[in-house]
Amino acid sequence: MLAMDFCGLHFNTPQVLLSGCVGFGEEYTRVKGFSNTDVGAVCLKGTTLAERLGNEPHRLAETPMGLLNAIGLQNPGSARVVAEYLPKLDFSETRFIANLSGSTVEEYAEVTRIFDDSPIDAMEINISCPNVKEGGVAFGNDPDMSARVVEACRTQTRKPLIAKLSPNQTDIANNARRCIEAGSDALAVINTVMGMAIDPEQRQPVIGNNQAGLSGPAIKPIALLKVHQVYQVAGPLNIPIIGQGGVTRPEDALEFIIAGASAVGVGTALFYDPLVCSRINSVMVDYLKRHNMTHVNELVGSLQLHEPATSVCAN
Amino acid sequence: MNEHSRHAAAHPATRDTIFPEQAPILLHEAFAGDQHIIRLQAPEIAAHAQPGSFVHMQVHPTLLMRRPMSIMRANPKAGWIEILYKAHGEGTRLLSERRIDELVDLIGPIGTPFKLDGYRRRPLLIGGGVGMPPMIFLAEHIRRQATDNQPLVILGSEVPFPFKARPSQILVPGLPAEVIAGMPLLEDWHIPSRLCSQQDFPGCHQGFVTDLARLWLDSMEPRQHGEVEVFACGPTPMLKAVAQLTAEYDLPCQVSLEEHMACAVGGCAGCNVRVETETGPAMKRICVDGPVFDARQVFPQAG
Ligand SMILES: Cc1cc2nc3c(=O)[nH]c(=O)nc-3n(C[C@H](O)[C@H](O)[C@H](O)COP(=O)(O)O)c2cc1C
Ligand code: FES
Repeated sequence: MLAMDFCGLHFNTPQVLLSGCVGFGEEYTRVKGFSNTDVGAVCLKGTTLAERLGNEPHRLAETPMGLLNAIGLQNPGSARVVAEYLPKLDFSETRFIANLSGSTVEEYAEVTRIFDDSPIDAMEINISCPNVKEGGVAFGNDPDMSARVVEACRTQTRKPLIAKLSPNQTDIANNARRCIEAGSDALAVINTVMGMAIDPEQRQPVIGNNQAGLSGPAIKPIALLKVHQVYQVAGPLNIPIIGQGGVTRPEDALEFIIAGASAVGVGTALFYDPLVCSRINSVMVDYLKRHNMTHVNELVGSLQLHEPATSVCAN
Repeated sequence: MNEHSRHAAAHPATRDTIFPEQAPILLHEAFAGDQHIIRLQAPEIAAHAQPGSFVHMQVHPTLLMRRPMSIMRANPKAGWIEILYKAHGEGTRLLSERRIDELVDLIGPIGTPFKLDGYRRRPLLIGGGVGMPPMIFLAEHIRRQATDNQPLVILGSEVPFPFKARPSQILVPGLPAEVIAGMPLLEDWHIPSRLCSQQDFPGCHQGFVTDLARLWLDSMEPRQHGEVEVFACGPTPMLKAVAQLTAEYDLPCQVSLEEHMACAVGGCAGCNVRVETETGPAMKRICVDGPVFDARQVFPQAG
């Protein structure tokens, strides 16, 4: 009922653990009862060509129903990830997806080449990281640059490529179209929303990097709309979407699938409940049975919009 | 594209070492200065906790993030743990309103604890404010080992201590006679303790924990410094001062650190601090690489 094909990869379930929330794939297995087999895939932490130490503390701040983070892409560099981290992963449990980052188009291509020559199952192109000075969201908010990055990665691999789109741009559907034309096999929608927290006593930002990316339930309505918008472009082309942003309760996962996501990402919710994925699976199965469906695919994009209103004002 | 074997790697030893538990509140006591001690029934955590370990707690269902809390005591036989916290933010304030028998969702024990194989025979434990709990845990551990070691615990607080201080019956050579207030629990374990504060609390040293530690060190024969080892937890300025002192006297020193945390299992890299390693600077995760680090790695400028 939940097992599925995603770009030719076998996913145990439609859930994906999100980049930056689960280290390099093994960290959450510390928790008794947690299992990577509950999810279809695990996205590893954003990886650049050379090692990055990341930002100074504080890197985290809690906000109402949200979490601000500015880690600054701390990672040991792609060569070490391939040599030291991938051999520790149990590929019989789930699919593992690398998350690629860079400050130049050439760096993205080089990181892709390094992961192509590794057992990794697929690669997610992070053109939407808000927490680094160069590349990241600066590329992701410019459709031309997004397309150039995807094209450059495409020349280096035949493994599935997933462009991860930023919500911090005006026309996400157009950007999605450009990424698909440039060779992206799937899309991840959305990365974090840029934000800030201020300590009024110190008159300083709480986060060492000053600005940060917001995740968690606070961004879910934004994410749902973006998935719906991207699905209008990607659905007809059979390009699957990993919907994400604030999934916390099992119902949230269903909402993303109805909006058009083939798979659903879980990140920040793990911090509250490390065992949330097995709960989401069982509620999904119940839901499908209740609605006389035999497979989760039947639910994808099944949203029934209201008739268009005569008013053009959203208020 | 090369063919790569998708092997089933041997699972790392860290698997299944952190236990989720729904822990009933057994005791919940309030002290002056918004301090609280909570006792929770959490048998797996109690059985596996070591000095320096912490739990990651859902303080209240309305808050998205858990809170890391040091374990102050663990009773593996009775299956409970005790935590001391100060209600200074929204989360800890909501926690302070929770009642006996309510369930608290915990994961733990977490963290690389204090390294205690072959520690020196005069352990000096320094705890400041909400940094006291790991020192109490460590003291209880040292007592259980029943060796001929001679520990000393120095505690500092700017709000009234979360216990009723009483004059210590255990003489500590080298300390001023009027500095006599100690912690009853430690007294019961026959471990000498002394208290410090900038406030004028009776029987306490009026000044810094490091001042009292220095008096103690200076009262010894210099060769005895080779028997001293320091363990500390508290606010950063205090830890810096402790690192400075131990560098000056060339004493080994382990410190336990705190930072905002999201996952507390090593997944998000949100809790990292800069440390100096043999291969240069690194950003280490306080939750799983720490919370205990060598003081010289965290404060390389000290001394
Ligand atoms: C602590 C943290 C670190 C993150 N690091 C990355 C990263 O390295 N690369 C990336 O593409 N997204 C990163 N993200 C974004 C998540 O993968 C995800 O897209 C976003 O958090 C929205 O989902 P959520 O609300 O379920 O967390 C990070 C998010 C968090 C909270
Ligand atoms: S809190 Fe997530 S790595 Fe430490």
